[in-house]
Order: sequence, then C-alpha cells, then structure tokens
Amino acid sequence: MAATPAAENQSRRQPKNGGPRISLEMKMLLPVLFLLALLSLFPFLYIIFMSFNTVSMIGGISFDFAGLDNWTRMFTDEVVGAAWLRGILYFLATVGLELVLGIGMALLVHELVWGKNLALSLLLLPMFMAPVIVGLLGRFLTDGTYGLYAWFLNTTGVFQQDILGTPSSALLAVILMDVWEWTPLIMLIVLAGLSSVDQATLEAAKVDGAGYWQRLRHVVVPAVSGIVVVALLIRSMDAIRYFDVIFITTNGGPGNATKIIPIRLYETAFRFFDLGYAAAIGLGMLAFSILVANAFVAILKRRGLAR
Amino acid sequence: MNGSNAARGKQAVLYGILVLVLLWTLVPIFWMVLSSFKSSADLLSTTPKVIFTPSLEHYIALFATSNLWGYIQNSLLAAGISTVIAVVLGCLAGYGLSRSDFRGKHHVAFWIISTRMAPIAAVILPLFILFRYAGLLDTTAGLVIAYLTFNLPFAIWIMNAFFADLPPALEQAAMVDGATKFQAFWRVALPVTAPGIVTTAILCLVFSWNDYAFAVTFAGPDSQTLPIAAAQLNTQTGLNWGQLSAIGTIVVLPMMVVGLAVRRYLVAGLTLGAVKE
Repeated sequence: MAATPAAENQSRRQPKNGGPRISLEMKMLLPVLFLLALLSLFPFLYIIFMSFNTVSMIGGISFDFAGLDNWTRMFTDEVVGAAWLRGILYFLATVGLELVLGIGMALLVHELVWGKNLALSLLLLPMFMAPVIVGLLGRFLTDGTYGLYAWFLNTTGVFQQDILGTPSSALLAVILMDVWEWTPLIMLIVLAGLSSVDQATLEAAKVDGAGYWQRLRHVVVPAVSGIVVVALLIRSMDAIRYFDVIFITTNGGPGNATKIIPIRLYETAFRFFDLGYAAAIGLGMLAFSILVANAFVAILKRRGLAR
Repeated sequence: MNGSNAARGKQAVLYGILVLVLLWTLVPIFWMVLSSFKSSADLLSTTPKVIFTPSLEHYIALFATSNLWGYIQNSLLAAGISTVIAVVLGCLAGYGLSRSDFRGKHHVAFWIISTRMAPIAAVILPLFILFRYAGLLDTTAGLVIAYLTFNLPFAIWIMNAFFADLPPALEQAAMVDGATKFQAFWRVALPVTAPGIVTTAILCLVFSWNDYAFAVTFAGPDSQTLPIAAAQLNTQTGLNWGQLSAIGTIVVLPMMVVGLAVRRYLVAGLTLGAVKE
C-alpha cells in the first residue's frame, strides 16, 4: 500500500477545482436507491394509476379510465367500511394484548435468578415461525374432532362449539394466534429496556426504602417508556402489514366475522378481479401505514437515532 | 421477619408463573412436533395421546407423494438469493447513507423505511400486473424481486443504523495510515460490523422464508415454496394433520435455530436499530 499523506487530505476535503465530483458515499448510495425506486416508487405510481381505472383481467389485462369512480365507491361501500372497523378492532386487540402481556413477561424474565437465558430463548421461539404455519397449527389445535385445545375446552366445559366456525370465538381465536406469535417480540424489546435501567439509581431507591412497585413506577417506567413506544410502533407496523394468519384459518369468515381490511382487499382483487377498486382500497391502507411510520420516525428523531 | 425466606418465596412465585407462560408458549410447538411423529391411528385418537410409538410415516409420505425436495429448493433459492442481494446492497447503501450528509437526507430515510412498512396486500396488487406483463409470474426470479421489496429497504435501514454506531475515528485512523476511503470501508468498517451483517442476513432470510402472501399470489407449479405446500395439504379434501405437522416442523425448525443464533443482536435488528443492547 502506497501511503501518501496528500491523498488522505484530498479524500477528506471537497475538491475546489474542476466540476462537481461525486463522493464515494454517494457512489455507494445512489445506485441502490435507484434500484429501490424501481422496486417501490414504480409500483406505487402504478397502483395510483390503477385506482383511476376499471381493470379487467379477462382476455389479457385492459384498463378503462374510470375517473374517481373507485374512490367515491370506496367511501360509500359499507362492506369496506365494516372491514376497516373490524381491522382497527383486530389491530387494537392484538397490539394491546401483546403490549400488556409482553411487558408482563419482560418484568418476569428480568427478575429471574437462574435459567434466564434458557427461558428467554424458549419464549422467543414462536416469533420465528412462518405466520401461515401458526395459522395452520391454530386450525389443528382448534379442530373440533382432533384438536388439543378444542378437546381441552370441551372436556372442561368452557367452550363446546366449533371454535373457528362460530363468529365470536373465531375472531378471538385469530387474535390469540397473533398474540401468541408476537408477544415474545414485545417482551424482547422491553427486556432490552429493562436491562438498560441504571442500576445505581435502582439501588439508591432500594436503600431509601422504595418497594418493588414504587421502584417500578418512579425509576423503571420513566427509563423504559421510550422503548415501550418503539416496541408498540414496530409491532403496529407489522400488524398492519401481515394478514397470513386470518388468510389461512378463516379467510374472513364465518360470515364476515374476521374480514379485516387486507382480507377484503385481497378478495376484491383476486376473487372478484376488481383490481382498480382494490387499488383504491390498497392506497387507503398505505396512507394508514404511512401515518404510523411517521410516528415511528418522529420517535427515532427524538431519541436522536435518525438524523 | 426473615429476608432470605421472603426472597425465596418471591422466586418460587416467579418460577410458578414462568412455568405457566412457558406452557402457553411451548405447548403448540411441542404438540406439532409430537404429532409429526405419531402414527395416523394415534393421531386420530379422540383423546389426545402423549405416549406413543414414534413413527416416521408422515415424513416418508411427504417426500414420497409430493415434490418436497423441489419446494425446499424453491424456498431456499427465493429466500437465499433475495437475502444475498439485499445484504450486499444494504451494506453499500447503508454505509453511504450513514457517512454522508446532504439536504433532505431525512426524507430519503423516511422513504426507505416507509417502503419496508407498506402493507403486503397493497404491494402485491401492482406487482401482480407488472409481473404478468414481464412474464415473472411462476418464476423464482419474480419471488426474489417480490422479497427484495421488503428485504432491501430493511437491509439499507438496519445497516445504516449499525454503521452509524461505528465511530468514524476508526476509519479515519486507517486513512491516516494510507488506506483509501473504500479500503477503510472494506477492511475496517465491514469486519467490525460483522455481527450486524450476519443478523441482517438472518432476519432477511427469516422474513422471506416465512412469506406466504407473495408466494401464494405469484408462485405456480415451477416456483412453489414450502409454506404454499403446507397450505395446500390443508385445503385438500381430507385434512392430513400428520403431514401438516411434519411439513410445519420442517418449515419452522431451521428458522428457530438461525434466529436464536443471533439472539444477542435481535433487538437491534427487529427494532430497525431504534433499541440497542
């Protein structure tokens, strides 16, 4: 390697002569961003285009300009409106339960004296599973004839109907499947926050006679609240993204009991082949997820992590 | 009052709760793996059986009656190739982003992250039409592209976070010793970030290996992945819980192993760099 101190100086400073030079950082960044634009901006513009057309798939794809038809239809469509409400209910129930249980589990694991690492590893297992397998396994466990959980609920007399075939229990069951898979993620994130709580402050509070709940309230909660919000937003974004569990278990049924908005979107597109209308619904979902992403980035900024 | 007794009592309660939580978490997984080794007769018993003679019946049937090796190969190719592309490009762009400062940088960052968060159902729609025009339906290449729509922004963002953690002094020291800027990246920044790179790769692999929605829409007989094969077992007339448990076990076990292998770095990876341990 030829060491030239001059080269070091040059590479660090903006060149003052000649035309604009592209820095190495930009050479590394720009081609990849261009590719990402192809992957994301192009489909994004395309879905906007689709939303102003009636898209037909019969005998090749054809577009008929439809103006605002799809959009006005969406805002007056009661089935879509109900799917939005159900989606928001599903979203609040899953994320809410995951948050409460995840924080509880994190507090529990944090207090363990021995076997902490093993317990943590075992508790994390569900979140590595393909959601579609979680759904299929859920179907197996709740099967009226051969399912372990159905058998248990039946024998103890808690619930004796067809779990996924009854509207109220079906919605609860798919919520619990999601909660089962993703509570460990919240636990993991909150646990990282708990480990970062200043031990000296905790000890000082203990010496001053503060009990567990008092320490939790006055020392731990203020220290981890930021991380809990991060956990909440990360989980929220994925809860909006995925629909695999419902897709494979009830696919919206029985009736419309579990028909959340992504399921309605998918069937509008690929069962009724009403792709233009589905595009408008998709853009509505996209707007919702961008709102959540905005909140996430705002939090990151406040924590000084995104500049 | 005996302090150590109280502490011991508290620990006993804690471990009691832990057992309940572990049961809640592990029983379904345990039951799936157990069922995959049960003979059909034991499986279809109306009272659940825990003690039985293990049998490989369902695994053998899976490999004999379906193109399981083909599905495994399709899954590995689609997930593997998209992971490699995402991680290589993610390292380059993530480093570039972390070491540059330009106007509107936060807009670019926001665009990257919002790409990762776009609802899958909404992304599938335009891709389906575009893939149909481009002849990419039922190809592994199509799945690789589909998986890049979430793996690439994820890898850029998370590698940016890992590189941003690295003090620039390290690279500056190398450059004082005569290394070029690229050499400083290649020989200093990259090796130091190795755990982050491995974590990113594993998470990309898990996300794409576990995908169902994209594959069920885009893949056909030539590119069908494992999760699709699992779902199809379930929609055939006779629900074959034994084979389903076997294929479920095959899908989830490798991801649990690689996922736990990077447990220390999972928090940083899964929170997109917002939380670091």
